[in-house]
Amino acid sequence: MAKVELKNLTKKYGDVIAVQNLDLSIPHNEFLVLVGPSGCGKSTTLRMIAGLEEITSGEIYIGDQLVNEKDPKDRNVSMVFQNYALYPHMTVKENLGFSLKIAKVDKKEIEKRVKEAVQILGLDELQKRKPSQLSGGQRQRVAMGRAIVRRPDAFLFDEPLSNLDAKLRTQMRTEIKKLHQKLQTTIVYVTHDQVEAMTLADRIIIMKDGYIEQIGSPIEVFNNPINVFVATFIGSPPMNILEVDIIKKDGKIYFELDQDVLMPCPESKASLLSQKNQVMIGIRSEDISPSNSNTSDEFWCFEKNIDLAEPLGTETQLFIKLKNKEIISRMYNPREIKIGEQINFAVNLNKIHIFDNETKKIIK
Amino acid sequence: MKQIKNIGFWFLVLFLLLLICLPGIWIFVSAFRPNHEILSKPANWIPDRWTIFEFTQMFSIKGYVSVPAFQYLMNSIIISLFSTIIAITIGMMGGYAFARFNFKGKNKIFLGLMLARAVPGISLSLPLFILFAKLGIINTSFGVIIVYVAMNVPFTIWLTDGFFRQIPKEMSEVARTDGCTRFQAFWNVELPLAGPGIGAAAIFSFLLSWNEYALASVLTRTIESKTLPIGMMDYLDEFTINWAGMCAIAVVMIVPAVILTFMVQKHLVSGLTFGGVKG
Repeated sequence: MAKVELKNLTKKYGDVIAVQNLDLSIPHNEFLVLVGPSGCGKSTTLRMIAGLEEITSGEIYIGDQLVNEKDPKDRNVSMVFQNYALYPHMTVKENLGFSLKIAKVDKKEIEKRVKEAVQILGLDELQKRKPSQLSGGQRQRVAMGRAIVRRPDAFLFDEPLSNLDAKLRTQMRTEIKKLHQKLQTTIVYVTHDQVEAMTLADRIIIMKDGYIEQIGSPIEVFNNPINVFVATFIGSPPMNILEVDIIKKDGKIYFELDQDVLMPCPESKASLLSQKNQVMIGIRSEDISPSNSNTSDEFWCFEKNIDLAEPLGTETQLFIKLKNKEIISRMYNPREIKIGEQINFAVNLNKIHIFDNETKKIIK
Repeated sequence: MKQIKNIGFWFLVLFLLLLICLPGIWIFVSAFRPNHEILSKPANWIPDRWTIFEFTQMFSIKGYVSVPAFQYLMNSIIISLFSTIIAITIGMMGGYAFARFNFKGKNKIFLGLMLARAVPGISLSLPLFILFAKLGIINTSFGVIIVYVAMNVPFTIWLTDGFFRQIPKEMSEVARTDGCTRFQAFWNVELPLAGPGIGAAAIFSFLLSWNEYALASVLTRTIESKTLPIGMMDYLDEFTINWAGMCAIAVVMIVPAVILTFMVQKHLVSGLTFGGVKG
């Protein structure tokens, strides 16, 4: 039970920078998710916390202790790996009790703690089996059980669900969340899957090229992405981004979405754009939806032909083209859609995001 | 038609097998018959008279009659066993280091070890003889053990390196976050998983020591130090060769090796790591 603190953490492989000047404080009991594309430094960060990777510079504190020079075994953190890494030559029970046996914990205590973990994770029937006799989900559960048994200060998860099929992944995701509520421990969780990040995290860190792009609660990073990268990375389907010219007409500012398609700039943001000729605007697919009549001021309507429709049951995703770029729109009351059909779309102007086209940062 | 084809196929297999096994069979058969029968022309395939005369001769413990085979057998066992244990201990640690650690000149050192293996042993016999004579370890089991260890270490490193590489490095990492030191992780997790590979390496290096002739023939000349392959030459006299005796001692050599191989064989089944990681 402890907080984890990273100060100015840097990792270099030769000249290649994996993680650069990372500052981060993870309070006790937080579920923190590091998310980003592959090679962004998220796994390296996790491995540095675990002690499996040497630090080039900076400091790591677990609890109040500086652990830079400590071996993984002395850091009292437990790690769950993507490929489970169960000990193949031991039974489930031996796998679970291994860390305690190494720590020379009393046999009765081992028995007790293994029993606890077995009950939490529903592994009762499987105790005598070897890892090779378990299914993917069961192996994952044993891997988590092995981490629980140690009662570590923090759990480290390195893409633990990536090897599971889609259905099982959703199920295990829920289990991990429940587990966190039950154990009340600090968790640092690495994933490249933004859905996992959104659903699990108390706080998300989006990383890219070794830097932190944004930190915030899932809703915060979803609603207020600070740059184009975060905007397109978080959310599924990704946010629609369009590079548009700014047209000034009758004292008002318009965005040219397509030839002769002018979208008015919301008045609250007009003053920010007086010096600009070009910007990038981002619209989430749910903020650009088919509509028959939207007379309210915050909506702006235009007509367009459908290129493609993907029905998902609860919704249908409609693909249209603006400035030769594919734009995805969500239709919440699906009906049969014909390709080429002309549909009226309404854009929620209050929810559009405007980014600088050079720095790619949000204009606020 | 198909049946005939099948039968034909199996006859072919049998014929090829016999061809391969023929020298072995000849040795075995010849060990149990008198010398003159071995030399008969045309060859007499099935002995007229079976005898264990040569065996009783060499194993008559109270003062040997022909060749002190028991002493040679003991020498062979001691030398092979010790050289194997030492070579495998050093070799598996070396193999682990090459598989898991990155250090300066790693590839060059590895290449060097392999090249050392490429030097024909016999070319070392004279320098070794002179060196050992000066050191006073000629005609000792100790000397031979040193040489065999030197021969076997590169080979066992090469073999165990491959086996350790097959074990995902997450195994040791998870063990280390589970509270193990690096050595504990090696001992409790990686070593048991590499067991079959280490067993294979051990058998190979045992057999190499057990069968080695060229160097031992230079380094051992006394009854107290000679191994079985060298002892075999005791049957070679100036004017006669006791083929039956030679074959008998060859059988003594072959049998333990075969038994050992069969015993360990079932432990060599790999695939033990399956299941620990996503398979």
